[in-house]
Amino acid sequence: MTAPLLEVRDLSVVLSRTERDLPVLDKVSFDIAPGEVLGIVGESGAGKSMTGVAIVDLLVPPLRRSGGTITLAGDRLDRLTPRQMRRVRGKRVGFIFQDPMTSLNPVLTIGRQLTDTMRRHLPVSRSEARERAISWLTRTGLPNPARVFAAAPHELSGGQRQRVVIALALCAEPDLVIADEPTTALDVSVQAHMLQLLRDLHEETGTAMMLITHDLGVIAKMADRVAVLYAGRLIETAKTQALVTEPLHPYTAGLMQATPAPDETGVMRVRAIPGSMPGIGAAPSGCAFHPRCGRAQDICRQTPPPLADAGGRAAACYFPLHREAQP
Amino acid sequence: MRSLIEALRGRPGPICAAVLILLFIAYAFVVPLFSADPFSMAGMSILDAFSPPVWMDGGTAAMPLGADDQGRNLLTAMAYGLRTSIMVGGISVVIGLVLGGALGLLSGFVGGRIDAAIMRLADVQLAYPALLLAMVIDGIATAALGRGRSNEMSIAIVTVSIGIAFWVQYARTIRSSVMIEREQEYVAAARVTGRTNTAILIRHILPNVMAPVLVIATINLGIAIITEATLSFLGIGIPATYPSLGSLIRNGNAFLQSGEWWISVWPCLLLVVLVIAVNVLGDHLRDHFNPKIRGRS
Amino acid sequence: MSGHEVLTLSSVSKAYGGRASLIEKLFGRQPKSLQAVREVSFTIRKGEVMGLVGESGCGKSTIARIAAGLMAPTGGEIGRAEKTRQQMIFQDPFSSLNPRWRVHDIVAEPIRTHRLRPKNAVSARVGELLTQVGLSEADGAKFPQAFSGGQRQRISIARALAGEPDFLILDEPTSALDVSVQAQILDLLRDLQARLHLTSLFITHNLPVVRLMADRIGVVYLGELVELAPTDAIFRRPRHPYTRLLIDAAPDLDAKDRSLHPIPGELPDPSDPPSGCVFRTRCPFATEKCAAERPLLRQIGAGEVRCHYDLDLTGRELAA
Repeated sequence: MTAPLLEVRDLSVVLSRTERDLPVLDKVSFDIAPGEVLGIVGESGAGKSMTGVAIVDLLVPPLRRSGGTITLAGDRLDRLTPRQMRRVRGKRVGFIFQDPMTSLNPVLTIGRQLTDTMRRHLPVSRSEARERAISWLTRTGLPNPARVFAAAPHELSGGQRQRVVIALALCAEPDLVIADEPTTALDVSVQAHMLQLLRDLHEETGTAMMLITHDLGVIAKMADRVAVLYAGRLIETAKTQALVTEPLHPYTAGLMQATPAPDETGVMRVRAIPGSMPGIGAAPSGCAFHPRCGRAQDICRQTPPPLADAGGRAAACYFPLHREAQP
Repeated sequence: MRSLIEALRGRPGPICAAVLILLFIAYAFVVPLFSADPFSMAGMSILDAFSPPVWMDGGTAAMPLGADDQGRNLLTAMAYGLRTSIMVGGISVVIGLVLGGALGLLSGFVGGRIDAAIMRLADVQLAYPALLLAMVIDGIATAALGRGRSNEMSIAIVTVSIGIAFWVQYARTIRSSVMIEREQEYVAAARVTGRTNTAILIRHILPNVMAPVLVIATINLGIAIITEATLSFLGIGIPATYPSLGSLIRNGNAFLQSGEWWISVWPCLLLVVLVIAVNVLGDHLRDHFNPKIRGRS
Repeated sequence: MSGHEVLTLSSVSKAYGGRASLIEKLFGRQPKSLQAVREVSFTIRKGEVMGLVGESGCGKSTIARIAAGLMAPTGGEIGRAEKTRQQMIFQDPFSSLNPRWRVHDIVAEPIRTHRLRPKNAVSARVGELLTQVGLSEADGAKFPQAFSGGQRQRISIARALAGEPDFLILDEPTSALDVSVQAQILDLLRDLQARLHLTSLFITHNLPVVRLMADRIGVVYLGELVELAPTDAIFRRPRHPYTRLLIDAAPDLDAKDRSLHPIPGELPDPSDPPSGCVFRTRCPFATEKCAAERPLLRQIGAGEVRCHYDLDLTGRELAA
């Protein structure tokens, strides 16, 4: 096995309060191999966006990183000075945000934003940057790239803007792209285009991707592996196929049953998980999911289950589902 | 009230300001209960005219801050003056708030021609300084009612003039808040339920647009007090024969050159401290109730 | 049939703009108008749930607002059953509840407005409603800010039920919620539907959700109703190419078949819609006739389709 590109170990983030710090992310560990797409799944407040933001050190006070190591291709990102970190962002780690309206500078032309990014991170001349920018706009499937190059963000449609955001994240040829809900603000038809584009560019450039989303459908189509977050903890990781067919953690299974889908006979099924995810600082003792779990026993209420690795997949559960199916 | 206490918790500056304002109010309204009106015959004693503050040569303990040219005890005279200033300021703010509030609600909710008419009127008014406008209104009142009018009438005219001079700010603030609120889905929900426009405006929208204008009102209180003082100082507000901070300052102004500085300096000082206190409190409340700034300070 | 219609829309249209501004008058320019809804007709019968799907900006929310009486159409007619009490549930659980009102007063408002209960029975009724939607009577004393998005949507549902509606409009009621919370709200709505036999119009962009909730589904594209059929028929045998492409476009949970099915092309500018059939610029089957002639909404099989052709779209690979 090749060495991982990104190694995150025991990453913790807290919300600083005068009285005490509240845990937002609790010792989250995962790897991303070169060229791999890792899906990060969870509901709002689970900490999935926080994970991406914490990696590139963009946490805004009162949030702060309280522990753990982040290693990107052998370099400890958690030890970098803010100045060094700025060189990592954009150059080595690209970021695609959810909202295409706010992630572009409204007063600069698309071309200016692309060439600025490239000239900051790559040894290219002005004319070279311009050429590359046009080529990126072409690759993202934008009609009339020369016109888009000269356009201001507000002159483009939502879908076009999101294509530009993708080009902007990839143009400095990063090793890793963190895509935070890249299609959530988009309509179904635009979403499919955007996923197709992300997939094409991913295959073309070989960049690794961290795809943060709440949409299991997007995960099923895009991710090689999945990490599921619940109340700031990583509760399950597995290859995508294994996760959607045989989830080990009851929460993962519950999340899939909660997505309305037809069964074999075409009848729509939906099953809700009772209760709600605890808020920040309100996690119960033991397994954070135990109050909502039908399989919970005394031990679940007392000690948080470790993320037990079993044959390439892991689940933080004492009584996982599909145990029988495991060899 | 509870949210006001909540807003002040752990903030020494605004707490000091609030305490100071309460002390001034107590001073302005309690002292006149126990002393004769310095502007009546009983309150004057010509023998004590120009009596300096107690620590200076010739000062007496009975008049710790000294006396003016008519022998009025400045400590009592200032309480009477402050009382007038606070009342004129407070009532004029209420007039501006009610007038501006009503016009703003109407403008923002009805929109169209009514909105355009009200807002153009506001634009025209904004082209004149508030002070000038108050002078014009005062002038019109004088022309209409003649010169020989009572103190009470003068005070009423000053109060109304200042009130009218400040409606625009309230109207604009309320209007823009109303325009945001009327698009909220809770308004649509009330509509679907069958509530009338009046009910929606009064019961649903009004409570949601009050917080920002109440904060503006606090800040405007300081401005209104200064405006009153300025008008009185210029001699077109409250007559020199009636106590207000402005008329006291004006009265003392004549003696600044001749060494009797205390006659105008004390009321000036009181005015400055009062307005600073009101502004500190108002600024803090504005920041506190503004969700965009909240949490940063 | 007659007497069972709760709401009938006949050829309802809504255009925005179109009134010339001063500058446009001065320069003799034609004002720009936007046809948000164009000749939409459908009937909702007592006890049924009618769904409307479409992408953002297609006009489905405008149709909802017209149906709710919040907006007047610029063309066509709306027929309502005598004395229909309507209620509406909105998308945004944060802006749909007045932040200055206590939950009790929010839920009591429709009861008080329509005097549905004697004064002394209002409190008991509010408590009953809060319990019915999975909250507690004590929650009535709190302000909406004390609740999560899902709980706020429950309060909205309680408020709607308080009005004892004959007709309920739900405008994207679960779109702002997380999957697991959405499932809870859908469960609650289905349970209420089964018990109270509500008549409702359910608007969403989410096909699985509308498939779960609706008896009949209307598909809206660029302000037009392009297909209207029973839910089962829409999914088993979609007849409009847009319906079929929309069904395929949403990624499902199948990780083995990872193909994506984007709808070809981009949405045209709504203020300058294509001639003829509105979908022709993106339709794989478009012909010259589609550009020349606007298709009528015509009856085919169990439903109605606005398409010149009777296409068999089952089992064909359509997407680009």
